[in-house]
Amino acid sequence: MRTTALVLAAAAAALALPVVLDGRQLGIYVLAGLAAMVTVGLALLMGFAGQISLGQASFYAIGAYTAGLLTVNGVPPLLGLAAAPVLAAGFAAVVGIGLLRLRGHYLAFATLAMQLILLSVLAQSEWAGGAIGLQGIPRLSVGGIELDEDVHYAYLVLAGLTGTLLVARNLVASRVGRGLRALATSEVAAGASGVPVGRYRLGVFALSAAFAGLAGGIYAFYLGYLGPGSFPVLLSVEYVVMAVVGGLGTVSGGVVGAVAIVLLVQVLNDIGTRPGMPSYAPSVLSYAVYGLLLVIAVLYLPRGLVPALSRRDRS
Amino acid sequence: MANELAGYVITGLGTGCGFALVGSGLVAIYRVTRVVNFAQGTFAVIGAMCASSLLSVLPHGIAEPLAVLAVALVGLLVGFVAIGRPGTTPQAALIVTLGLAIFAYAVVVLVWGDQPRSFAGVPGAVTVLDGRVQSHYLLVIGVTVPVFAGMALFFGHTDLGRALTACASNPYAARVIGIDVRRMGLLAFAIGGALGALAGVLLTPVQQITFDSDVTLIVNGFAAAVLGGLTRPAVTLAGGLLLGVTQALVAGYGNAAHQTEIALGLMLAVMIGRAARRPAALEEPT
Repeated sequence: MRTTALVLAAAAAALALPVVLDGRQLGIYVLAGLAAMVTVGLALLMGFAGQISLGQASFYAIGAYTAGLLTVNGVPPLLGLAAAPVLAAGFAAVVGIGLLRLRGHYLAFATLAMQLILLSVLAQSEWAGGAIGLQGIPRLSVGGIELDEDVHYAYLVLAGLTGTLLVARNLVASRVGRGLRALATSEVAAGASGVPVGRYRLGVFALSAAFAGLAGGIYAFYLGYLGPGSFPVLLSVEYVVMAVVGGLGTVSGGVVGAVAIVLLVQVLNDIGTRPGMPSYAPSVLSYAVYGLLLVIAVLYLPRGLVPALSRRDRS
Repeated sequence: MANELAGYVITGLGTGCGFALVGSGLVAIYRVTRVVNFAQGTFAVIGAMCASSLLSVLPHGIAEPLAVLAVALVGLLVGFVAIGRPGTTPQAALIVTLGLAIFAYAVVVLVWGDQPRSFAGVPGAVTVLDGRVQSHYLLVIGVTVPVFAGMALFFGHTDLGRALTACASNPYAARVIGIDVRRMGLLAFAIGGALGALAGVLLTPVQQITFDSDVTLIVNGFAAAVLGGLTRPAVTLAGGLLLGVTQALVAGYGNAAHQTEIALGLMLAVMIGRAARRPAALEEPT
């Protein structure tokens, strides 16, 4: 019951916050929400299907470019947003047929390679704006009403995150979810017990891509500008840090990890940009924090914040 | 046409040697510890940066080996964090080394700044088969080949090398006969650090190095090592040279922008091909 109370409190806070936050804080709220959507999917993939992805930002990029390109070419924005997760999931399903034959470090490098190839292709493609990127993406509009204030996007992100969480929670509680957990422990045993291993792995991969794609779609409308430089390899690593710190194999872990790290990096950014600090201070601080958090989390908190905290609760 | 070709091939062999050195560092560590060290490209970057600083006070020929030695110590440190804690699985250690690689960005930017750095190598150019090549590429090849020969001798014909190989083939049996597997793992990390740094030191005069050059280096090094199943240094050398020459030819005759796709595509094809031939069950952690 305590969990229910906590979830309700978090939901109430998330609903109330956009009203009280000011401009810059709303921007952080939106970015944290988007990161949480991607991380929920990645935590599902890493925790339940036991797969590392160092290329999760490529699905975010595909979602963003899908939404951006479609609307720039005259497709209604809502349709563009709807297409973002579909295309990202479709892409994941197709490349997944090959990539998911790989395990462990091979998969990690393969997903990293996937992202490097995608970035290189995007940077060279005229139709995608090349290295300069896509500019002038219109704002999202629903039935003639344009969402043009940050607070609108804050609620849009919240709606997207809620949808993501509901899908993830239902999946985890279902028969498929139990199959996935068995698969993460031992593929051979799961396969022998009748879990369709290949299909489930591909399914989770595509689902995590869909989450990232949806977040990317919202990002495109929110920022109005996209370039290959918006989706560096480091972004994929950041999602891994968020997922690992929050806790793999829990649905709420993705949200906790993403929010905690976005806030922490924001605080460090404030310190780093104070007068008197050298120009490289913000990036140095964030690299140091991402690196240290990842090392410490893996070595000393292997199950992440959420399981660690709830374990302390029970004992 | 013919003279261009010779030039491209030698340039490719030179960069390929760099990839092979990074890859062989990965192999040295993976064989003994089953850990894929994501910080392998970082060793090259730190090695290059150290050398560029040391060169301002020391002459060529002394500064470079010192930088390599320094990074061997860095490798030892990375190994300590990655496998020092008992019960760290290779999967977890991969993520730890990824974290260390990101942390190293902070250190490198703090110490050496975020601008590309380079230093002078062997000056001038030579003519090979009517093609002009920077002489430095010949030095790169001239250093790499003996290093690989030395590694083969070390792993096959010295007690220490054979102990490392024993840990690689059967850690349990190695422990039974009194080999300290953890110490051997740390030694492997130090060797990996030195090999990575050597790649960085050799390549920097012909390719500028920035703090985030490690991604390209580690991916190409991994691609080279994957050809040999991450365990065979000789195949890694062949793989690195193949990658280097292919990229140089693509850049020379086609479009330099497609280099990455070709190298990565090749790596993906090899990995997926190997996985398809071997059932997944064999690769499951036991």
